[in-house]
Amino acid sequence: MRNLLNFLAKYNHLIIFLILEGIAIYLISNGNSYQNARIIKGIRGLTTGIEKKVSNTRTYFHLREISQSLARENAILRNTLERSVNRNDLSFSPLVDTIHQQQYSYSTAEVVSNSVNRQKNFFTLNKGREQGLSVDMAVTDGKNAAGVIVGCSENYSVVMSLLNLDFKLSARIKSNGYFGSLSWDGRDYSHAVLNEIPQHVTFGIGDTIETTGYSAVFPEGILVGTVSDFEKIGGDFYRIEVLLLTDFKKLHFVNAIGNLKKKEQIELEKLFL
Amino acid sequence: MINRTLKFGLFFIILVLLQVLLFNNIQFSGYINPYIYIMFILLLPVEIPGWLLLIISFFTGLTIDFFSGSPGMHTSATVVAGFVRPYILRVISPRDGYEPGGNPSMFAYGVRWFLIYTIVIVVVHHTALFYLEVFRFTDFFRTLLRVLLSSLFSITFILLLEYIRKWK
Repeated sequence: MRNLLNFLAKYNHLIIFLILEGIAIYLISNGNSYQNARIIKGIRGLTTGIEKKVSNTRTYFHLREISQSLARENAILRNTLERSVNRNDLSFSPLVDTIHQQQYSYSTAEVVSNSVNRQKNFFTLNKGREQGLSVDMAVTDGKNAAGVIVGCSENYSVVMSLLNLDFKLSARIKSNGYFGSLSWDGRDYSHAVLNEIPQHVTFGIGDTIETTGYSAVFPEGILVGTVSDFEKIGGDFYRIEVLLLTDFKKLHFVNAIGNLKKKEQIELEKLFL
Repeated sequence: MINRTLKFGLFFIILVLLQVLLFNNIQFSGYINPYIYIMFILLLPVEIPGWLLLIISFFTGLTIDFFSGSPGMHTSATVVAGFVRPYILRVISPRDGYEPGGNPSMFAYGVRWFLIYTIVIVVVHHTALFYLEVFRFTDFFRTLLRVLLSSLFSITFILLLEYIRKWK
C-alpha cells in the first residue's frame, strides 16, 4: 500500500496526464460527428447570436451577386414552367396522373456559421426542426450539392459540408452515366475527388459531374462540379479531380431538400434486410 | 493572489474570445489556421504545480472545443502542451534560474528565450492538434506542412500579443 502511494506521488504528473488525455481521446472517438454536433449545438446557442450578426454583415456585401443569382434562377424556373405548360397544351389527351406524388420537398435557409479550413468542416443553418428540417436532408446552394444535415435542434441545423473527410457522395459523369464515389481529400476547398470510375470509360476535362440519387438523400441530377484533372491509379480506376461548382467560401442562401418517400422506402426494406 | 487569479481569468476570456471570434474566422487557405489560445498555457506562472497546469490545460482546450464544435481535439492537444511545459522550462532555464513567483514572459527573460519557448510549445501543440484532426497518417507530409505554416502564424500572433501586453 505504501509503495503504491509512493508510486502515485512520484508519477502523479504522468498519471493525471494519462487520465485527462484518456478523457479527451474518448471525446474524440465518441464524437466528431453528429451526436456531438448536436450536443455542442445546445452550448453553441451562446455564440450563434454573434455569428448571426457577422453573417448579416456578410450578406449585405454580397447583395448584388445574390440578387443576380436569384434572377438567373427565376429565369430558369420560368423556362421550365413554360415548357411544361406548352407540352400539356400540345398533348390532346391530358394525362391525369393519380399515382404521381411529390417526392422531394424544398425549403430555403441561411448559413449562419461556416468553415472551410478544417479537415472536417460543418456549417450551421438558421432553421431547425420547427421549420421542418430534419436529419439526412440534402443541402444545395440552389443548384449545386453542398452537404447533408447531420443534426437538428429546434431552430438550428448542423450540416456536414462536402468539405469533410467523412463525407461520401454517389456521383456520376453526366455524359456517360458511369458512377463513382465522390469525397474530399482535405487539400483545397474548391476541389474534390471522384474515385471508382473504371479505366475503359472515356471522358474529358470539363465534363459535368452530377449526383446519382442512389443514396436517397440527394435527388438525381444535382450538379456537383466539372472534371479538372484525372490520372490512372493502380490497374483499374481513375482518380478524377473535380472542380466544385459550389463556392463554399461565400455559401449563404441554401436549399434543404427532403425526400418525402425515404421513410416509406426504409420501412419496406426493413422487412427484408 | 486573488488579484492575480482575476487577472488570469480576464486574460483567459480575452484569449478565448479572440480565438473564437477572430482567429477561427481567418481563412487564408486550407493550410493556415492560427491557434493563439495556447498563449494562456505559455504564460501561467513558472512554479504552478504540474497537476494544476494539466487541469487548467484540460479546461482551456475543452472551452475552445465547445466553441469550435470539435469535441476532444483541442482538449487533447492542449493537455499534451501542458504536460511537456515543465520539462521544456527545465531544459531551457536561464542561467540564474527563474524568479520566484514570476511568469515565463518576454520581458522577464528576453526575446530570444521567449521565442524558443513559444516555438517549442506551439509546435508540440499544433502537431498533436493537426494529426488528431486528420486522425490518419496518409498525407503525412501535407499535415506536417499545415503544422509548420500554422505554427508560424500562431507564433507571430503570440509575439505580437506579448508586445501589446507590454505596452499596457
